Amino acid sequence: MIEAKIINKSFGENHVLKDLSVQFHPGRNNLIIGQSGSGKTVLMKCLVGLHDIDDGQILYNDRVFSEMSFREKKSIRKEIGMLFQGGALFDFMTVEQNIMFPLNMFGDMSPLEREKRVDFCLERVNLPKAHHLMPSELSGGMVKRVAIARAISLNPKYLFCDEPNSGLDPQTANVIDNLISEITKEYDITTIINTHDMNSVIEIGDNIAFIYKGELWWEGDKNEIMDTENEEINEFVFSSELTRKLKDWK
Amino acid sequence: MFKLIHNLGKYLLLMKQVFVKPDKVRYFFRQIFVEFQSLGLDSLGIVLIISIFVGAVVAIQTAYNIDSPLIPLTMVGFTTRQSIILEFSPTMISLVLAGKVGSRIASEIGTMRVTEQIDALEIMGVNPANFLIQPKVFAAVIIFPVLIVFSIGIALVGGWLACILAGIVTSNDYIEGLRFWFEPYTLTYALIKTSVFAFIITSVSGYQGYETRGGALEVGAASTKAVVYSSILIIVSNLILTQLLLA
Repeated sequence: MIEAKIINKSFGENHVLKDLSVQFHPGRNNLIIGQSGSGKTVLMKCLVGLHDIDDGQILYNDRVFSEMSFREKKSIRKEIGMLFQGGALFDFMTVEQNIMFPLNMFGDMSPLEREKRVDFCLERVNLPKAHHLMPSELSGGMVKRVAIARAISLNPKYLFCDEPNSGLDPQTANVIDNLISEITKEYDITTIINTHDMNSVIEIGDNIAFIYKGELWWEGDKNEIMDTENEEINEFVFSSELTRKLKDWK
Repeated sequence: MFKLIHNLGKYLLLMKQVFVKPDKVRYFFRQIFVEFQSLGLDSLGIVLIISIFVGAVVAIQTAYNIDSPLIPLTMVGFTTRQSIILEFSPTMISLVLAGKVGSRIASEIGTMRVTEQIDALEIMGVNPANFLIQPKVFAAVIIFPVLIVFSIGIALVGGWLACILAGIVTSNDYIEGLRFWFEPYTLTYALIKTSVFAFIITSVSGYQGYETRGGALEVGAASTKAVVYSSILIIVSNLILTQLLLA
């Protein structure tokens, strides 16, 4: 489990996260939703340690991550996989080298075991023959799938996904959502997904945290969000005619 | 002034992160060989072209300035050699490399920063500054002096060709001049200078790339800054090193 306890984060005069406390559970798709500028990306970057928090605590299974040094954080970082918005694949490496990279740096596998692990990860994301392609040769959906394969190569306990569906067509977005969800349940991973996509909220939202102006405004699951009377979340989630009709129909 | 001190502090802090033991020593050595290729061997063409023409021009200009019959024609070879070894090859080629290699390093690392590849490294537990910048610095400090020795050789050949083809000095006079009163220390001085310039180019460009924030526009700006600051620092350190090593 990952827990943020009363965390605050400011950039100069801009107070982005305000006394925010939230828990993310293993084996569940934990979604962070909110308007642009609400602080959800900052929250995710604080959780993975890319931003230092001003005060409060971030805990990974009761280990206080936010108070660790760079070296101490390494042990937890080996347990983290992250899917970035743009994939963040190393563009000077092939798909195979990208997935092999964390295994080479931190794994204790033999070369044969590493190759087998790469094959397994690529098959898991339905790209069994993409080994020798360069990132520039991949479509948007393939980039995301390779990034997922890289993120799961070291069997992470925690998986962070920053807008995994951005820039994808609805069908591919659905494939990515289902893939993340399957991996989460299969390996009992604590998955945190930062998203704008209401389809993802309704499809895979096991635990949804709505961030509004830097505060945790609402928490619930995909069924509860359909029935909530909270004004801000209704304005955000049901902003389109289609979603309003869906709510009315429900 | 405050900004300069601020940036100097950030540069020194980055260097502190760069010069630590690599996460995987085997990977570090492999990366050094990759950088030998991209920083050194890929620059051979431009070094060759510039060196041959600079050598030719220096020889012709020297001959043009020696009017007195009291000065032997062997002085053309001697002066060309001294100018090439002491100044033209180490400084001029380093300035060219600041443009070619510096902009490449800054744009490569800057692009990795804006496309979150550096964040990805950090989240994996890799020290990105060490992983990306250290092999480039070591590779450049080793390979740039080799390039400069190559450049010196080619420039002297360029001077010889100019003398022969223009009929300024005979081949024997030129070669005798090249061999006259040779101080091996001048070569040591040139190589020390080059190593310092290599460190400046790679570390300053690495810093500019690493500190890039934003998008394509900022990557371009970082690349320009890398070339400008490296060039200024090369010129300034050239003066200081010359005073320290030759005075």
